[in-house]
Amino acid sequence: MNGRAVGVVGHFDQLDRFLAAIRELRASGLDNLRVASPVPHHEIDEALGRRESPVRVFALVGGIVGAIFGLGLTINTSIGYPHITGGKPIVSMPAFIVIAFELTILFGAIGTLLGLLVNARFPRLHIGPAFHPRFCRDQFGLFVFCAPDEIESTVQILRHAGAAEVRQVDGDVEV
Amino acid sequence: MNRRDFFKLLGFGGAATLTGCSSQAPEGLIPYLVPVEEIIPGQATWYATICRECPAGCGMLVKTLEGRAVKVEGNPDHPVNRGRLCGRGQAALQGLYNPDRIRQPLLKDASGQFKPLSWHDAEGWLAVRLKELRAHRQEIVWLTPHLTGALDQLIDRWLRAFGSQRRLRYEPFAYEAIKAANKLLFGLEAIPTYDLQSSQLIFSFGSDFLDTWISPVMYSREFAAMRTCEAGHMGRFIFIGPRRSLTAANADRWVSVSPGSEGIMAAGMVRVIIAEGIDRGVPKGEIERIKDLVDRYTPHLISQTTGVTPADLEGLARLFAKADPGLALSGGAAESGRYATATVAAVNLLNYVTGNIGRTVRFSPLSSLNRLSSHRDLVALIQAMNDGEISALFLSEVNPVFSLPRSAGFEQALDKVPLVVSCGSFMDETTAKATLVLPTHTPLESWGDDESWEGLYGLMQPAMEPVFGTKPLGDLMLSLAKRSSNSRAAAFTEESFYEVLRNRWRKLHQRVRPETEFETFWSEALQRGGVFQETHPRRISLNLGGLAKAFQGLQALARPDNLTLLLYPSINHFDGRGANRPWLQELPDPLTQLTWDSWLEIHPEDAQRLAISEGDLLKVQSPYDEIELPAHLSAGVRRGTVAAPVGQGHTAYGRYADPHNPNAVGFGEKRRGGNPFALLPFEPEAGSGGLLLSTPVTLTNTGVKYPLASVSGSARQHDRGIAQAISPAQLRPGEPKPNTQHPTPEARQMYPPHEHPVHRWGMAIDLNACTGCSACVVACYAENNIPVVGKEQVAMGREMSWIRIERFEEGPADRPGTRFIPMLCQHCDNAPCEPVCPVYATLHNSEGLNIQVYNRCVGTRYCSNNCPYKVRRFNWFTYPWPEPLHLQLNPDVTVRESGVMEKCTFCVQRITAGKAKAKDEGRPIRDGEIEPACAQTCPTNAIVFGDLKDPTSAVSRLSHNPRRYRVLEHLNTQPAITYLKKIIPANGEVSSLEFRGTGSTHNELNT
Amino acid sequence: MADYKLTYGKIDRDLLKTMEAPGRTWYILLAIAIALVALGGFAFSRQIRYGMGVWGLTHPTMWAIDITNFVFWVGIAHSGTLISAVLFLFRVRWRASIYRAAEAVTVFALMTAALFPIIHLGRPWYVYWLLPYPQVGGLWPNFRSPLIWDVFAVLTYMLVSMVFFFTGLVPDLAVVRDQSRGWRRRLYGFLAQGWQGTDRQWRHYTSAYLFLAALATPLVISVHSVVSWDFAMSMVPGWHSTIFAPYFVAGAIHSGLAMVITLLIPLRRTFRLDLYLTQTHLENLAKLIVLTGLIVGYSYATEYFIAWYSANDFEWETFRYRALGDYAWGFWIMIVFNSLVPLLFFIKKIRTSTAWLLTISLLINVGMWFERFIIIVTSLARDYDPYTWGLYRPTWVDISITAGSFGWFFLWFLLFAKLLPVISIVEVKEQLPPPMMGEAGSGTQKAEGEEEAVR
Repeated sequence: MNGRAVGVVGHFDQLDRFLAAIRELRASGLDNLRVASPVPHHEIDEALGRRESPVRVFALVGGIVGAIFGLGLTINTSIGYPHITGGKPIVSMPAFIVIAFELTILFGAIGTLLGLLVNARFPRLHIGPAFHPRFCRDQFGLFVFCAPDEIESTVQILRHAGAAEVRQVDGDVEV
Repeated sequence: MNRRDFFKLLGFGGAATLTGCSSQAPEGLIPYLVPVEEIIPGQATWYATICRECPAGCGMLVKTLEGRAVKVEGNPDHPVNRGRLCGRGQAALQGLYNPDRIRQPLLKDASGQFKPLSWHDAEGWLAVRLKELRAHRQEIVWLTPHLTGALDQLIDRWLRAFGSQRRLRYEPFAYEAIKAANKLLFGLEAIPTYDLQSSQLIFSFGSDFLDTWISPVMYSREFAAMRTCEAGHMGRFIFIGPRRSLTAANADRWVSVSPGSEGIMAAGMVRVIIAEGIDRGVPKGEIERIKDLVDRYTPHLISQTTGVTPADLEGLARLFAKADPGLALSGGAAESGRYATATVAAVNLLNYVTGNIGRTVRFSPLSSLNRLSSHRDLVALIQAMNDGEISALFLSEVNPVFSLPRSAGFEQALDKVPLVVSCGSFMDETTAKATLVLPTHTPLESWGDDESWEGLYGLMQPAMEPVFGTKPLGDLMLSLAKRSSNSRAAAFTEESFYEVLRNRWRKLHQRVRPETEFETFWSEALQRGGVFQETHPRRISLNLGGLAKAFQGLQALARPDNLTLLLYPSINHFDGRGANRPWLQELPDPLTQLTWDSWLEIHPEDAQRLAISEGDLLKVQSPYDEIELPAHLSAGVRRGTVAAPVGQGHTAYGRYADPHNPNAVGFGEKRRGGNPFALLPFEPEAGSGGLLLSTPVTLTNTGVKYPLASVSGSARQHDRGIAQAISPAQLRPGEPKPNTQHPTPEARQMYPPHEHPVHRWGMAIDLNACTGCSACVVACYAENNIPVVGKEQVAMGREMSWIRIERFEEGPADRPGTRFIPMLCQHCDNAPCEPVCPVYATLHNSEGLNIQVYNRCVGTRYCSNNCPYKVRRFNWFTYPWPEPLHLQLNPDVTVRESGVMEKCTFCVQRITAGKAKAKDEGRPIRDGEIEPACAQTCPTNAIVFGDLKDPTSAVSRLSHNPRRYRVLEHLNTQPAITYLKKIIPANGEVSSLEFRGTGSTHNELNT
Repeated sequence: MADYKLTYGKIDRDLLKTMEAPGRTWYILLAIAIALVALGGFAFSRQIRYGMGVWGLTHPTMWAIDITNFVFWVGIAHSGTLISAVLFLFRVRWRASIYRAAEAVTVFALMTAALFPIIHLGRPWYVYWLLPYPQVGGLWPNFRSPLIWDVFAVLTYMLVSMVFFFTGLVPDLAVVRDQSRGWRRRLYGFLAQGWQGTDRQWRHYTSAYLFLAALATPLVISVHSVVSWDFAMSMVPGWHSTIFAPYFVAGAIHSGLAMVITLLIPLRRTFRLDLYLTQTHLENLAKLIVLTGLIVGYSYATEYFIAWYSANDFEWETFRYRALGDYAWGFWIMIVFNSLVPLLFFIKKIRTSTAWLLTISLLINVGMWFERFIIIVTSLARDYDPYTWGLYRPTWVDISITAGSFGWFFLWFLLFAKLLPVISIVEVKEQLPPPMMGEAGSGTQKAEGEEEAVR
């Protein structure tokens, strides 16, 4: 994120409370949220109002590139060395399609992986102070960016929403 | 062998050519068609000489590259073999380069061990002995193989110089009975010319003229010509004898008779012919006498003895009488049994009464084999040796300890001879008993001449510098004679044997072509490989007295009670001299398909009776000796008869022949069958003094399972139309021609056929001409550096032969017919092997060749899996070429390493050479100019190679022959090889000499 | 899995237990595996030293158990992808607790299978010539060759499976990271790639995982089809058959499922995972096996029907030979173990009894190995030209290298069992209804108590 962020982290034990907190914060105009959870839940994305992930595009592009590359590779190299084998034509499409298919899958997968790395900003070896191990185990974490004057109100909202614990930290959950 | 070794070889070659000469000056070597000064690296030089692998005396050309002999081929100018060679001839090179050759003189010391010594010492030592011998007037004996010409004369001269004359020309198979019978009947102790080619019908009474009999290459050619289906008819061939030999397997019919009853069969036929008055040109006077003689042999008696029904006998007799001309031959069992002379006499009589004497049996020219010593002479010699009459015995290239019956006691007799000198190349059983061993040149390194038939004067010249420090026998004898100086020896004025030879040829020159200059005559002779003269016919007449005398033998003919053992010369090893040639060891016997071994052929019913199964190790006991042989069940021998090939079972003779040789490692299996010669009786046959090749035996099953290395998977075709046949009837014009057993709808191509811009190499193989002799297989080994893998690997199915002769049995299991088909890479247009190779190691080139790129091959072996003909061979290991065998490697062909696939290339190196030659001479390639090694050597010209793009080429014409078919045609692989079906007359047709054929096909083949 | 005693915390504790220090049996098994690998390695060294001839392979059976093993191991791989990808797409809930192990089987099986194309070469040191790159003079491999299709299919399959496997691991690795210390923490910290379970990470992660699954599904079908085409594309009777692709895919999954059961049962026992690997899981696998077993049996029948119906002598002889010839024993092992024995799973008693499950799945493994052996060897031993018919007998090298491949596979699986969570922690959590108001207490306290331990 841009520079050192300041904010408040709330730990939640229950999903419903957690979701409620998110809605409340957004209602009160604090829209700059980041959350962490041990398991994915589409409710969370809905509550945060996130768009559909663009990874699908990477997969599609990868696949198409793979197909084209596969056909190009087989056809060109065969024409480069027009060896007759078994009386088959130099450009034996049925055979080449098999190669093209495999490459479609391979490049598609590589594209997907790239999509993941780029969009989810992987890999990252430093873990910010806002993160807490229990976010990967049994608690839902909610991080709120806020100006110093908003901190108090935010803490209030979180406690009221039923956070098991509220911390004030410098630094994002990610970064 | 890797690239570096290969260049080392080239280096050696170069050196060999540059280094000077010993006894013979290189300017003395007149290359065939090329002046000697033009030794160009990579440019082959050919020398004409004579093949000495057997007594037939075929003309041979030796191909030398950079001074190394790398290949031998038949000499097209030589009348005996007309450019063809058998497998044994092809393997001559492995005699020259054999790693077990003796490399320096050896003298046996007190401890009985051989100690090497220098030539000077050896000759000195021997000269002293010879002086003594001469001083005390003691007898010296020379024992040589069949020898003619200068060396032969020199030996006689040499003996006379030392006051002895006893001299034997020893061959285990000496045709005594033929000579004796001809002496009795026609007053001529001779082996006549048999004209197979112009016969309409051949009756062979046990004569294996396609295997080893007298001159197999010549007879194979004539037989094929006689069997060609020319416009009118095709010659018929009926084999009468107890065993189905390769020859019998090529017959229209095999009449199985018990051994020793061939004679009365012939006599019985004579009786029928005389009785029915269908004889030809027999003077009235003789008729009566002959009638009396043969009256005894009633069809009834014969059917009792042989099991041939009277009707059948009469049918055969009439058929033979109808043949104009016919030809009856006698050999093998018939000519080496108890009644050999009588049998041959009866067969001669059959020829006589049908007017064949003088037509298909001509007493000019005569074979020089009539000069061979008889077995009786050997027995006499042994007697003399035992009596201590012989003080010195000189042996040269003979191995009587191996090839004489053990009961003859030659080995023991040798101990009675104070001085035994063996001049030869190999430490065989006999040489091992010698006191002094003098290693002599092999024929390919020697000067010499050979007169196999009257008027055929063949010249032998050294094809290359000696491989080892050996000496030519002739030179050796000269120097010995001089060293043991005495008045007579002074008569030896010649400098070298070369001079002796030229002197002899000066006389010949005076006789045959005085008008020309001698040197021109000489060099022409060297180039052509000899001088070949026509001979004048001899008139001979029947001696009735002799006939009667001969027939006495036929009176008491008992039916053999227990099992009779028949020995026959192996087509691979002959009398055993071929056993140290790895190619011949690995070459499967055409009929049994077994390699690296000897065995006992026994009829399945007898086997069942004696509780013997395939591969059981048997104790074979004759009244004279006993040996162990593995059993091979075969319906190819008559019940009550067992047969074994001779030539194996060596206890010496090098790593390939003797499994106990320390160097024999890597060939696996230590055990090999014994030496059947040992079992034979030593007494000669009464009439002729010949060796008896049969004896009663008893078998005991040792219960040991013995691994036989067979190369044949299934003996049956399972109706798959691999080797197809057609009957004369079907060949009549208008008759439907069944194409293949698996007919394919008009070959539908998924893709447009690919172009062959200039050439499309193809091959046609005529199964009617192929006799299965396997010469092509050995030729291929020699030409293409094909490794030998040894018995163990062959047993696993890992033999490397690029071309193989597949043998299939047809018809009833108890009397199957045999079919042979040469199988090699078919160079398919749609080759299944090609698209499966991941690395383009095999592909189709613009001339229709399916090429294999060894360097590119990674060895997935997928190509072999996908080849329906299974003609691809995989290098499971890197196979050894024991020095100096590697000197034979053909530098034009890559030597493959372990892990690489290989196969027939249609001898692409020869194609390239042929194209280059044509290009240099600025002309198109002539049809037939390019011949793969297999086609080149085929004695019957069954294999024809050429360009399918040229509609006039022989191969193109043959590929439209009505007998054409392609193996597994329905797979649509579009092979480049067309097979022509074998013509097999239906039972009814065998007896009809005439049928309307399609004509013209084979005229092309045999021109 | 509707076990409400489970909480997120408990799941962590239970599943991370599997990664605690191994016991003696584990080391013994590891030693055995290493010994087998060493044996195989020695045999291979003989092959390099002397040549392919040390194998029992010969003319005409140029392929035998070398390729048998290749096909067998590729087949084993397939069930992993089926369970992890296909069942994922179908949102099959019981997949969650078995897919990790199944996927591990996939990866390790492929690592084993990939060895054989190298080993079986006459000149293995040139194996790189099969890779697509411009070689001497710009020559590329022959893309018409099914073997090159293999290279592409198997390598693609291996890469994609590994990516899929690792992606699935990341959130679990983070859990492991957070609950360990010292080198382990650093190691898993690195492997987890900084996973924090933030909304952004989850959003792209779930989507990527979905697409990987979507790509893996057609891939798994294609791979064994391509493998089957090694045979079907040839003209060898008994190989040249259009049914091969589906037949091989079904067979592959058949053998894979059996292998998964064979491995899950001991895992469940040793790690006491009955809560997570319930009888239901194994039973469902058994049901799948019945399905694949029926498909395989149907394929066998079809092959025979076509061989007879085509009236092709060559084809018919091959199939006659399979059932009655020199290798008939192998053929009947294949028929009984692959298509008859699995039918026992129709009986609930049998498919719910651990002992039966283990026995039958082992038998199927054997049967499927022999299926490949029979298809390869009998077809080659008797193809078109009767003169060349011959038998194949394995030598000690063939057998050692085969044993080595099993050692190699189990070596990796043993390491996996101890170094990675054999059951996906996150996905098991997903199966739980998320904690809601009123049930907070317990989970929290336990968790706190544990944090002491961790810190």
